[in-house]
Amino acid sequence: MVGLSEGEKHFIRGGIAQDIRTDGRKRLQFRALSVETGVIPQANGSARVRLGGTEVIASVKAELGKPSILHPDKGKVNIFVDCSPTAEPTFEGRGSEELSAELSVALQRCLLGGKSGAGAAIDLSSLIVVDGKVCWDLYIDGLVISSDGNLLDALAAAIKVALSDTGIPKVTVSVSTASDEPEVDVSDEEFLQFDTSSVPVIITLTKVGRQYIVDATSEEESQMSSAVSVSVNRHGHVCGLTKRGGAGLDPTVIFDMISVAKHVSQQFITLLDSEIAAAQAEE
Amino acid sequence: MHLLGRAPVIRRGGRWHTQFPAMSSSAATGTYSPAAEAGGKRREKREELRRHLAEDADWPRADNRSFHECREAFLRTGATTAASGSAYAEFGKTKVIVSVFGPRESKKAMMYSDVGRLNCNVSYTTFATPVRGQVIILELIIVLASITKGDLPIIISCASLALADAGIMMYDLVTSVSVNIIIDPTSDEEAWQDGSLMVSYMPSRKEITQLTLTGEWTDGKITNAVELCMDACSKLCDILRNHLKETANLASE
Repeated sequence: MVGLSEGEKHFIRGGIAQDIRTDGRKRLQFRALSVETGVIPQANGSARVRLGGTEVIASVKAELGKPSILHPDKGKVNIFVDCSPTAEPTFEGRGSEELSAELSVALQRCLLGGKSGAGAAIDLSSLIVVDGKVCWDLYIDGLVISSDGNLLDALAAAIKVALSDTGIPKVTVSVSTASDEPEVDVSDEEFLQFDTSSVPVIITLTKVGRQYIVDATSEEESQMSSAVSVSVNRHGHVCGLTKRGGAGLDPTVIFDMISVAKHVSQQFITLLDSEIAAAQAEE
Repeated sequence: MHLLGRAPVIRRGGRWHTQFPAMSSSAATGTYSPAAEAGGKRREKREELRRHLAEDADWPRADNRSFHECREAFLRTGATTAASGSAYAEFGKTKVIVSVFGPRESKKAMMYSDVGRLNCNVSYTTFATPVRGQVIILELIIVLASITKGDLPIIISCASLALADAGIMMYDLVTSVSVNIIIDPTSDEEAWQDGSLMVSYMPSRKEITQLTLTGEWTDGKITNAVELCMDACSKLCDILRNHLKETANLASE
């Protein structure tokens, strides 16, 4: 937890009101972003994202599984987040459970879309191998290594980068007439890339006083009354939304926050895309 | 029941078409549906959505409701005796019991806090879900749900009723309604949705306390859906408030 004196709190709030924050940023300015891909060789795709003092890793693993009965033409995606005790001593043991669960739920809500799959980050029907029999299960794991606020945006960005780094092995299916079960041969040389252009980014607007800011540090987050996280895709469509914090919000404020988030997201997507391209060129 | 004295009762004159004057002594039933006029200045946009909905929505819903009709609400306070306050709510086939215990001293293991804490705990009965014994833990005060889903908003509304029954001071009754393209979905409808949106709202303060959204939405749709939910919330809140008043009157007599 952040321990702040009255003076410091006043300084943070005053700065935000005057559009110059304690680290010199404007209200709608992000901290420096750095991106690295392929950090976990065992995974199908992985990425490390640093956003100021916040550092997260996301990894994507693909396993062959069976599609659910309700959606036989779709694969499955699971998202889990874990907070490492290196980020904060209180995360030791079960201390991070609540935060991890909150982050996982928010990411699932923002990235998996509606139950029919509309607005999802990943087209689930592209994960199917044999209809109703074999599909890819994607396990997306997020790990918070260092925490300085705005974890959700950093995790979503890391997942987007990790997905663009992901290669799904090519499979050849041979149906033998003897048994019903198709035989699946997984290639370890040929990989298929994901189309990640529709993966949304999450922009969290943190409300401090009457203003709201993007990419809040943990000190700024300690002064928030509430925060709204909006996930927006490249077309400027809202794909998910969650609100945190106890204070209620006026409906007009929420609508205003959504439109600001949409505006900011387009800049962030462009920035992230160029970082992804640079990271992949380095490899 | 401090709450009743504090919070002004807002009635939107004549707009709310419920059938609930025939309430029994301690229970209220009523359907409530958001009015077309909600959010007056955006009426035209709303009409557009309605037309759009009408075009899409030419099939009957599984439970014979029209597309803007909420399920019948049955409410009762004082459902359990051991708790300091409790409420029972039945929205169609979804049944929820909420009990409030306390206030009591917080556990030593918890971190010090200068504000109060509301511990919430939700459990599903083993026979509540289609697959027996499938237990899902959410958040909220000792809740016992049964039979169908589509339930988080109902749990929230029921919990605020129980809190009021326990005589806990609140800013306002929080009510909650979810919508996908149709309002107040049942679990079958939920399984095929393109997206959903849930609003928790305090009508007297005109404040949204929770807003969640999944699926792909355009700006106009979000605005419309949120206004639709807010209107339904206000009406549900009126029903809750009336029920509380009635019980309080009954008790004082």
